[in-house]
Parts: sequence; structure tokens; C-alpha cells
Amino acid sequence: MSALISLKDVCKSFGGIVVADHISIDIQRGEILGLIGPNGAGKTSLFNLISGVYPADSGSISVSGQSLDGLNLHQRARLGVARTWQHMRLFASMSVLDNMLVAPRDYPGEKISNILFRPKQTAAANRAMHERGMGILKRMNLQAIADSSVNDITFGQQKLVGLARALMNDGECLLLDEPMAGVEGNAYETMKSIVREEAASGRAVCVVEHNVSFIKDLCNTAVFMASGKILERGSVDSLLASQTLADLYFGA
Amino acid sequence: MEYFISLAVLVGIYITLSSSFNLIIGFGGLVSIAHPIFFALGAYTTGLLAIHFQTHPMLAVLAGGGVAFLSSMMLSLPSLRISGDYLMITSIGFQLGLLEVIKHLSVTGGASGLGNIPNIVEGSSRSTLFALVSCAVAAVVVLAIRWLLNGPYGRVIAAMRDDELAFAALGRNAMMIKLSLFAIGSGFAGIAGGIYAYYYQYISPDQFEILQSAMLLTMVVVGGMGSQLGPVVGTILLLLLPQAIGFLNLPPSVMAPLQGVIYTSLVLVFLFWRPQGLIAPGQRQSAKEA
Amino acid sequence: MIDISILLQIVWTGFAASTYAILFAVAFSLVVKVVKVWNFAQAGMMALSFYVMYAAHNKFGIALLPSVGIGLVATIAANVFMDRYGLQILRNRNSPSLTFFIFTLVVSEFLAYLLAMIFGTEPVALKPNIMSGVNIVHGIVISNWDIEAVCVTFTLLIALYIFMTRTQDGQFMAAVSDNPELSRLYGINVTRSYVITFAMTGVLITAGMYLFGTRASIIPNTPLQMMLFAVIATLLGGMGKIFNSAVAAVGLSLIQGLSIFVIPSQWQGLILYVFLFITILFFPQGVSLQKFKQLISLPKKQSAAH
Repeated sequence: MSALISLKDVCKSFGGIVVADHISIDIQRGEILGLIGPNGAGKTSLFNLISGVYPADSGSISVSGQSLDGLNLHQRARLGVARTWQHMRLFASMSVLDNMLVAPRDYPGEKISNILFRPKQTAAANRAMHERGMGILKRMNLQAIADSSVNDITFGQQKLVGLARALMNDGECLLLDEPMAGVEGNAYETMKSIVREEAASGRAVCVVEHNVSFIKDLCNTAVFMASGKILERGSVDSLLASQTLADLYFGA
Repeated sequence: MEYFISLAVLVGIYITLSSSFNLIIGFGGLVSIAHPIFFALGAYTTGLLAIHFQTHPMLAVLAGGGVAFLSSMMLSLPSLRISGDYLMITSIGFQLGLLEVIKHLSVTGGASGLGNIPNIVEGSSRSTLFALVSCAVAAVVVLAIRWLLNGPYGRVIAAMRDDELAFAALGRNAMMIKLSLFAIGSGFAGIAGGIYAYYYQYISPDQFEILQSAMLLTMVVVGGMGSQLGPVVGTILLLLLPQAIGFLNLPPSVMAPLQGVIYTSLVLVFLFWRPQGLIAPGQRQSAKEA
Repeated sequence: MIDISILLQIVWTGFAASTYAILFAVAFSLVVKVVKVWNFAQAGMMALSFYVMYAAHNKFGIALLPSVGIGLVATIAANVFMDRYGLQILRNRNSPSLTFFIFTLVVSEFLAYLLAMIFGTEPVALKPNIMSGVNIVHGIVISNWDIEAVCVTFTLLIALYIFMTRTQDGQFMAAVSDNPELSRLYGINVTRSYVITFAMTGVLITAGMYLFGTRASIIPNTPLQMMLFAVIATLLGGMGKIFNSAVAAVGLSLIQGLSIFVIPSQWQGLILYVFLFITILFFPQGVSLQKFKQLISLPKKQSAAH
């Protein structure tokens, strides 16, 4: 089965700093790949390269066989690359539900031509989108805060909303940047089960995380990055057991 | 009485101008000073169509709006491709440059202006009719902007203002939205220009100088940038100002710059003392789907 | 067909006329570089500078040089005041760039209106008789004004260069322009650097307005129109490269002057705007030899990647 996300020999440097050093990696449908490594290893940079925050210096990235080269951030998102951010980046002036409703790739009610010439279908489509948003919130047990401002909810809830928003994209790729950082208890369990469900429904999921137990809980396999290079790929247990990797992570 | 009626015409025109300017800088967050030139483009288009082709007034005014709408992209497309800061600079260049062109073209009457725009309303109630039309157009524009911003599109604009990167990562084309807002705002300015041309029947380049932007900026900043009714309040307040200082009976050569001093001082005062303006933007209502 | 002496004359006159433009461009560029603000208030300061000198010299009868001194003090004071009580507050509030833009633009407009109220809108010049003595060198007319302009400008530019590279304050300014946060952490007084920047801008502006005002007459609105030149020169020179913008100013001035050979004089005023758009479209980061080579060799580069 051809990989959903495929990177071949991707390189990127800023000034003298190499953030991606000949990275080649495949992520399959249904896979939950963990991305671990010390700070500055290039994990978030890899997400930025895949989602298109900046272009790679060389190499190629493709999703579902389609090359992403030359496409910018919003074009890649429209092809199905969804991501969350380390610092959440929720839209601060809006409610939770509004954050969700801005998220789908197309919202019929925004096009003036739709509103003027197809009012009934547009209203129906808007309602459907509304229900979809509420549906995702219900899965996370967040329907109660749908109308609350994102500034008024707890940190854990904010992180879940960030994930929910990315899910509205309905893309085949899900890149999660430290989704669990600072999250505990119910929110943690909810997030875990949601991510598992999404992978099971055929998405390729890649997770950057420092929370080792989350990686162990959730990821089938993991990749260890340091200094922009992929050092090793394998089962989470074997990676965590490796002494050399532990040294890189914690010391030296 | 006649005096107040012609003031009403101006009020309608300027509410259209300031509301559309607010759409661009207050809601769109686009830094542009080129609003007077789109006002001018609308006025000149309408004037020329009226003089040379005797076009139906409504068509001529709409054409003015259309020309302003389309030409705005000449400015916004290349500038926004680089960055928002560049729009700031190019808008100054566009404003000054196009005015230079108008001053040198004989078809627009050059620096001495375009006169003899045909009168489309005969009779003693001319001003009253113009006042009604102008205020009606203003009301339509304010309501149109309100409709635009209260619906899903308004949500999109707010998201774009909140965090453009996250916005783009959701698959949204921020550039298209900015171009559209700029074009819609400029188009409304063009329509205001058409009404202006028909009422005064004479337009000249110095009526659209960059210092006009001081007045518009005052209306928007003092009224309340980013609120829908703010520009309306700002406009009415500022157009009543000359009446307020009129009683000082100063010579006209001092009156005109004095108005300017008052306008700009007001902007400075509000920028520092009450940046949100007289009418602060209301909190966004939650999504209430139809 | 083009008489070489006419060509040389135009080149020389264009060059001499570019002197004040250089000063304004460098002043603008300096503020962009260090303070990171597009200081449209410069137009207002230029007007203020001129009218203070004009009032001192033509209204109060003070001799020219002391009048320039008074103008200098007034301009520096106004500049520093604007930074301390205007820009600093906006910085403290983390205001968006729109607010900075509105502020600086409105300061200029305010000053333009205020000066129009006080002085009227009749064109005035610093010297009642703006024709200075002329010398003919190899068939080219070189006026005394030309010589003075070139000398003043070069002296100031050299002084600026020495200040930026040899003095501690100058080096602090360079650090602040690179990274204000880091500079603050290293103990550099960022506010002081801003104040010095605006003081230096005041010097450049006053010198420029002195030169301009002894050669032509102005109305309060004139500096606003002149600002565009400074902005384009800054863009062409590249952000943060003040001496490049000086070169760009000379180039623009010469092109404006030489354009008389190819376009009718009434359209000369438009050259600047055409340049603005060319700059934005093709050289948004400024003209540099590298970028130029890149543009030319683009097709080859693409084929090499595959």
C-alpha cells in the first residue's frame, strides 16, 4: 500500500543551522507515528515543512501520491494536510463553535453568490456544517462550552478545541504538535481515544510529543530525531530502551 | 434650510466613504491611505460618462463604483503578494501618482478640473432629492457591511485578523479575503464619488488630495475603528464641526487649515486617550445559523 | 545628436539637486533601520524645520546661520518629543503597525495644517533671492549653491559614517537595529539609541531643508510630496542599508533629470511613481547585485534543479 505521507531526502537550513538533514520518511494510512527527540531536533520544523509554513530547500514531499512541492500553506491544507500548533493558536475573539466553523475547507455560507442564488441549499449546508462541528465537540464531551469564548475555557479544553478544529478540515493527514503538553485527566483520555479513532478511520497521524507515556500509549511506531536527522525508527519500546538515544535526549 | 439639506448630501456621501474605509482598515486590517483616489475614480468615471455619453445616472454611478472596484486590484494584488506593510507604501504612491496622471490628462480637464457635468435633477427640490438618495445609499452601504460582517464572512475576517498563520493552515486563502474587502470598500467609495460628481457638477484633483485622508481617518479613528456604527458617528460629528467653528468668523484662509488642525488633533487625542474610538467594537455574537 | 555638454549639465545639476534628497532619504532610512518605523512624520518635521528657520530669518531678522541653528534645535526637540511621548507609548501598548502608520501620518498632516494656519499657503523661500553666483567650469554651469550643497551633504554623510562605525553609540544603534530585545539584555540603552537616531535625523532634515529652502520656495504641503522620494530610495537601497539608499537617491534623481530626453516634461513627475511600482514588483528587498544576477539567471537555475 503506498504511503499516505511521503518525504524523500528533504533538506532545510536557516543560515547555518540545519533543521532538516536529508529526511526520508513514509507514514501509512492508519498509522500513528510518534516523533520524539531533544529540543531543537527539528521536529516542529518537520511539521512546518510538511504543512508548508516554509518550503524545503530540496527534496520532495507528497501526500496521497500528490506532490506538495511549490504549494503554499493554505493550498496544502486544502489537499488534506491538517495540523495543530504547539501554542494552539486558537482565534481569540471567537467562541469555541465559531473557531470550529471557520475551519472546514469550504463553508458554503461564506460565498455571496451562494447566499444570493442558492439560499435554501446554502442554509442547509450551513446547518450541516454546524452539526458536524457540534458532532466533533460532542465526541470530546465539549458541547457545553460550544458558545463560550476560547479565553474562558480551561487549558485542557483549549487543547482539545485545537484538535477539534484540525479535525474539521477532514484531511487525510493529521499532524499533532505536542497535543498533550500540560493536559491531564479526562482531557488526556479523550484526546487519546479521538486520535486512535481518527487513525482507525484511515488517516495518517504523526505526533510530536515529549510526554513519553502518551507516545507509548498511542503510537505504533516512533522516530527519533536529533539535529535535523532521523536517527532511528522502530517500536516505541525499542527506541526508549536504547541507551544511545537516552543519552542524546537527556544529556551530552 | 437649503444649507442643511446640502449638508445632508455630504453626510450621506461621507458616511459611505468612512464606513467603506473602516471595512478596509478597521475590519480588514489593511493599511492603506488610498481611499480618496477611489472616491476620485468613481467621480471622474461618472462625470466623464455623463458628459460624453449621456449615460443613465444610475448606470454612470454604478460604473464609477465598478471602475473603483476593479482598479483597486491594481493596487492590492501586487502589494499584498509581498506583505501588508508594502500596501501601506504603495497606497501612498498610488494615491499621489494617479492624481498626478489626472492632473495631466486633458480628457479629465487636467488640474483645472472637470466641469459641466450635466444636471440630472431639475427644479427646486434638487437638493432634497440628492440628500435622500445620498443618505439612502449610505444606509444601504452600512447595512450591506453589517450583513457581510454579521454572517459567516465576518467570522472568517475575524479569524484572519486573530491569527493569519493558523487561518491559512486551515486551508483558507487570506489573500483572496483581503483583496475582496479592499475591492468592496473601494467600490463603495467609487459610488460615493459618482453621487458627488452629479451633485456638485464640478470635480477637480485637489478635492481628492491625500489630506482628504486626514478627514476620513479622523472619522474612522474617532468614531471607532472596527465598529460598524463608529464611522457613522464620526462622520456626523466631524461634518458638524465646521458649523461649530463657523461662528468664530475667521477668514477662509485660516478656516480651512484650522479645520485640518482640529481633525488631526482629534485623531492624535483619540489615538492616545481612547484608541477604541467613541463607539467601541461590540463583542462578536456566537454563531447563530439561519 | 545629444549635445554632450547639455548631458553633462543635466547630470551635474541632477547630481547637485539630489543632495537634499540624499539627506532626506538617509534620514528616513536611518529611522526605518534603527527604530523599525516607517516615519511618515518626517514630512511634518521637514516642514517644521523649514518654517522655524524661515520665521527666524525672514520674520525676526536673525542672520541665516543662527536661524539654521534655531531650526536645528526645534527639529531635534520635536523629533525627540514625538518619539518619547508618542512612539514610546504606542510601543508600550504593543500597538499594531496600522496605529503607528496613522500616528506618523497624522503628525505630518497636523504640522502641515498648523503651519498653513500660521504662515499661509503662499510659496516662500529662505533667501529672498534664490539665485546664487555661478561659475562656468568646462562649459558646465556650477552655481555656488551646488558647491555648498555637495559639500554639506558629503560632510554630513562622512560624519554619519564615522559615527555609525567608530563610536560606541553608533555601534549600539547597529545592535539595536539588528535585535532590540537582545541588545536590551546586553545592557544597551535602547531608548537612548532611539533618541540619538531621532536627533541625527533632525540634523539631516534641517540641513536638507536649508539646502532646499535656499534654492526653491515651498508651501506647507511640499514635504509630504517629497517624502515619496525618500521612501522609494529607502526601498531601493534595501531595508537597513542607509548608504545604499543614498546611492539610490542619487540614481533616482539622475534618472528623473535625464528622463527629459525621452518623455515630455509634463510627465516627468510620474517617473517616481513608475519607479515605486517597479521596485515593489521586482525589487521588494532592495536592489542588490546578487538579486539582479538571480533574476537574470533564473531559467538556468530551474533547469539545474531537475
